Amino acid sequence: MKTAPIAIGLLAGSGLFASALRSEVEVPKHHAGLNAHETHASATLLGQFRTSVSSWLWLRTDLYLHNGVEMRQLTEAERKRGIAGVGNGEHGQDALHDDSSIVTVVPSKERDFRGVFGDIERATKAYMRMEGHSHNDPKSALPLFRLMTWIDPQFIPGWTTGATVLGRERSDAALDMGIELLKEGLEHNPNSPSILSELGRFYASKKRDFAKALPYLRRAADLPVRADQLDEVEADGLLSAYRWLCLSYRELGRSGDMYRAAQRGLGLFPDDPLLLRCAADTPYIFTEKGQREWIEQSISESEDHEHHGHDHDHGHEHHDHDHDHDHDHGHKH
Amino acid sequence: MKLRVWWALARGVLLESLRRKDLWVVAILGMIIMAASGALGFFGVEGLQTFAKDLGVTVLGLFSTVIAILTTSRLLPDEIKNRTLYPLLARPISRFDLLAGKLMGAILATWLAFVILLALTSVALLMFGVRFEVIMVQYALLKMVGLGVLCAVTLTLSAFMTPSAAATLSFVVAFGSSMIVRGLTMAYETSSPAMQWFFKFINSILPQFGLFDIGPRVANENWAPVPLWVVGGLLAYGVAYAGGMLLLAWSKFRSQAV
Amino acid sequence: MQAIVTEDLHVRYRAKNGQNVHAVQGLSFEVNPGEIVGFLGPNGAGKSSTLKCLMGFVQPSAGSCSVFGLAAGSLEAKRRIGYLPEVALYYPYLTPLETLTLYGELQGLRGSRLKRAATDLLEQVGLGQAMNKLNRSLSKGMLQRVGIAQSLLGDPEVLVLDEMTSGLDPIGRKELRELLKARQAQGTTLFFSSHELSEVEMLCDRILLIHQGKLIEERPIQALKDELRQFEITYQGAVSLVDLALEWNELGDNTYRARFSDKQNLLKALDRVQREGRAVVDVVAQEGSLEEFFVETIGRAA
Repeated sequence: MKTAPIAIGLLAGSGLFASALRSEVEVPKHHAGLNAHETHASATLLGQFRTSVSSWLWLRTDLYLHNGVEMRQLTEAERKRGIAGVGNGEHGQDALHDDSSIVTVVPSKERDFRGVFGDIERATKAYMRMEGHSHNDPKSALPLFRLMTWIDPQFIPGWTTGATVLGRERSDAALDMGIELLKEGLEHNPNSPSILSELGRFYASKKRDFAKALPYLRRAADLPVRADQLDEVEADGLLSAYRWLCLSYRELGRSGDMYRAAQRGLGLFPDDPLLLRCAADTPYIFTEKGQREWIEQSISESEDHEHHGHDHDHGHEHHDHDHDHDHDHGHKH
Repeated sequence: MKLRVWWALARGVLLESLRRKDLWVVAILGMIIMAASGALGFFGVEGLQTFAKDLGVTVLGLFSTVIAILTTSRLLPDEIKNRTLYPLLARPISRFDLLAGKLMGAILATWLAFVILLALTSVALLMFGVRFEVIMVQYALLKMVGLGVLCAVTLTLSAFMTPSAAATLSFVVAFGSSMIVRGLTMAYETSSPAMQWFFKFINSILPQFGLFDIGPRVANENWAPVPLWVVGGLLAYGVAYAGGMLLLAWSKFRSQAV
Repeated sequence: MQAIVTEDLHVRYRAKNGQNVHAVQGLSFEVNPGEIVGFLGPNGAGKSSTLKCLMGFVQPSAGSCSVFGLAAGSLEAKRRIGYLPEVALYYPYLTPLETLTLYGELQGLRGSRLKRAATDLLEQVGLGQAMNKLNRSLSKGMLQRVGIAQSLLGDPEVLVLDEMTSGLDPIGRKELRELLKARQAQGTTLFFSSHELSEVEMLCDRILLIHQGKLIEERPIQALKDELRQFEITYQGAVSLVDLALEWNELGDNTYRARFSDKQNLLKALDRVQREGRAVVDVVAQEGSLEEFFVETIGRAA
C-alpha cells in the first residue's frame, strides 16, 4: 500500500483544518496601538523575514556610504576621555546622518593594543582613516532603498530616506523620482504621516509648489489619530506635516487657514514653538517682512532639528524590528 | 612518508564525503545563491553590484563555515563510535598521523565545497556584471586558509567533547571571535592594567578568523589588493595555529583509551 | 623470542557510570611463535582489554606486554601484527577493495604490490565478486570477511583476532579455519579470543582461560582433550573393577558397566575381565565436553 499519497492527504487535510481555524486565532489586522508594519510582521512569518531583510539592508546602506568601512558610536567611556569622532558633521535637512560622534570599528594604529594583528586587520578589512570623511555618492545606495521597499513595503524609512537621497539632487528629474517613490510608498501605507509629510515637504520646500503640497499635508493632519497613539517616527512625521501645512498656507496667503491649522496642531503638540508662533502671531507676521524672514529661518532651523530627530527616529523605527541595532543605528541616521 | 599516510587517510575522508552526497547540500546551497541572484534580477534594480558582491561574500562565508564545522565535528567521534578506528590504529601509524590525515581530509572536503560554492557565486556575480579583480583571488585564498584553521579548531574540540558540543562551540568561536576581539579593542583603553594583560592573553589565544575575511574590501569599490606580506603572514599564522590545535588534540588523543 | 608476552598485566579504566573497573588483574602468559592460542573467558573476563593492550589501544595500568620483544603498541610491533577487532563497521561508503587499499597504504604497501595483495586476500576470503560493492551493501558476515582480509594485509607474523567467527556461517567458519591453518603452516602465530568452543577445539594448540581478569587455566588442547576423554566397557560376569573405574555398576542379568577417566585403567580392566574369562560386550570411547570443562573451571574460580 502506498503511504506517500496518504501522508500527502493528511498534510493537506491538516492544512485545510488549520485554515479553517485561522479566522479564530489570527491577530486582528488593525490592532490599536500597532502600525501596519507591526501588525503585518506579527501576523506572518514571511512578514518577519521581510522585516529582517529590510532592516539588514537598511544597515548595509550606511556601510556602503562609507565604502565598506564599518563605523560605530563612541562609547560613554570614550566620550568621557574626550575622544573625538571622525565624522564630517554634515548638517541640513538633506544630510543623511550626523556622524560627528562615530569612529571606525577597526581601531586606528595608535589606539590598537593588538600589534601585528591590528596591522593585519587594517590591511585586510575595508579600513581607512576617516577623520572628516566624505561619503560615497548616496545615489549608489538608491537601489538598496528600492530593494528594501520592494521586499518590505511597510518599511517606511526605506521610502522616506530613499526620497531624501533623491532630494539631495536638485534636478527636477531627481525630485520627480523622489515624489514618485513617496507616492508609491503612500499606496502601501496610506495612513503614514511620515510619507504624507515628506511628500508635502518635497512639493513645498523643493518644488516651491505649495498648492500641490497642501492635499498631502492636510491628509496627514486629518488622519484620525492621537499623537500619543503614534510611534515616535510617525508622531514626528505628523508634527512636520502641521509645520509645513502652516508654512504652505502662509505662502498661499491663507492666514486664517494657517491659524486654524496651527491651532489644531497645538492640540496634538502643545509645546511646539513654531506652531505656537504661527497661532499667536498670525496677523503680525504677514505685515512685517522681517518677521517673514524670521519665521522662514525658524522653520528651516526646525527642519534641521527635525531632521536630526528624524534620523534618530529611524533608529526607533528600526527599534521595532531589531533591538540590538537600535542604539547604534539611531545615532547614525 | 608521512605525507603518504596523511594523503591516504585524507583521500578516504574525501571519498566518503563525496559518496555520502554531502556535496548535495553544497549544491543546494549554491542553488539558493543562484536563486537569490535571480530574485534580485527579478526586481530589475540596476546598480546593485556592490550589494550583490556583499551578499555573495556574506553567504559564501556563512555556508562555508557551516560546511567546515559539520564536516569536521563528527570525523573523530564517528571513528570511535563505529569502531572504524581500531583497524586504523592497528596499522603502523601514530595517533598524530591519524589526526593529521583526518584533518587534511576535512580541509580538502571543505575546500572542495567552498570552490563549488565560489564557482556558483562567481557565475551569479558575472550575471550582475561584476568585474573580476585580483583581490577576489586573495579573498578565496585567505578564506580557504581560514577554513583550514576552523577545521583544526573543530577537530580539536571534538577530541575533548561530544560532536554536537564541539559543533556548537565551533560556531560560537567562528562567528563570535571577531565580536570578542572587537569588544576587547573597545574596552582596552578604559580597563585596568591587569585587565589589559588579560585582554592581550585572550586576544593571543583566540583564533583570528576575522583576519582571513577580506569580504568587505571585495564587496566595496576601489580597495587595493592586500599586501603580499599580509597574505604571507596570514598563511604562516594559519599553519601555525592549525598546527597548534593539532598538537592540542594529539595531547588528548595520544593516550586516550579507545 | 616469544611472539607475545604479558607480565603481571593490569588494566584499570573508569566506566561510563563513573566506577573504576579493574578489567585485567596481574595477567601473565606467553605465546610461542607459530602457535595457535585460544583466549577464552566469559563475558567481561578481560579478553578484549588484554587484546587492546596488545594493540596499544589501551595503556596498561601496570605490568607490560610485548610482541617479539617490542613494546606493544609501538610502530615496530604494529608492523608485525594483523588485528581483527571484535565488531568493526568498515567505512560504509568505501568498497572492500578501497578499504584494503587504504589500510594497505597505512601498512606501507604501495602500487601494484598493494593492489595484488588486496585483490588476492579478498578472493581468499570469498569476496572476489563483491570487492567493488560499497561496504554498506554487504552483510554482516561479508563485512567480517573484509575484516579478516584486512588483518592479513602485509603478511603479519602475529594475528590477533577478537571474536573472529562472529557473523560467519558454517561454510565461512570452515574456510576461515583452513585459511588460518594455512597461515600457521607458513609460520604465522595466531592469538584469538572466541566464545565458539568448537572452533577453539578444532583450531588451537593451546588455550588460556581467564576469569575476572586473572588467568585460571592454561593447557595444551591435546592434553586437555586427553584429560576430558572417558572410556566405558560393558561386560558379563562378576569381576570387580572398583579400584580402576570412576564408576562401576550392575545393569542386571549379570551385566556390568565401568567408566574410566584414562586409557591405562581401561586397558588394565580389559585385561582383568579377559583373564577371568568373562565376555566383553562393548567398549566405548567418549570425547569430553570442553563446554563442561569451561563451565566447571569458571564455576570453581568464581
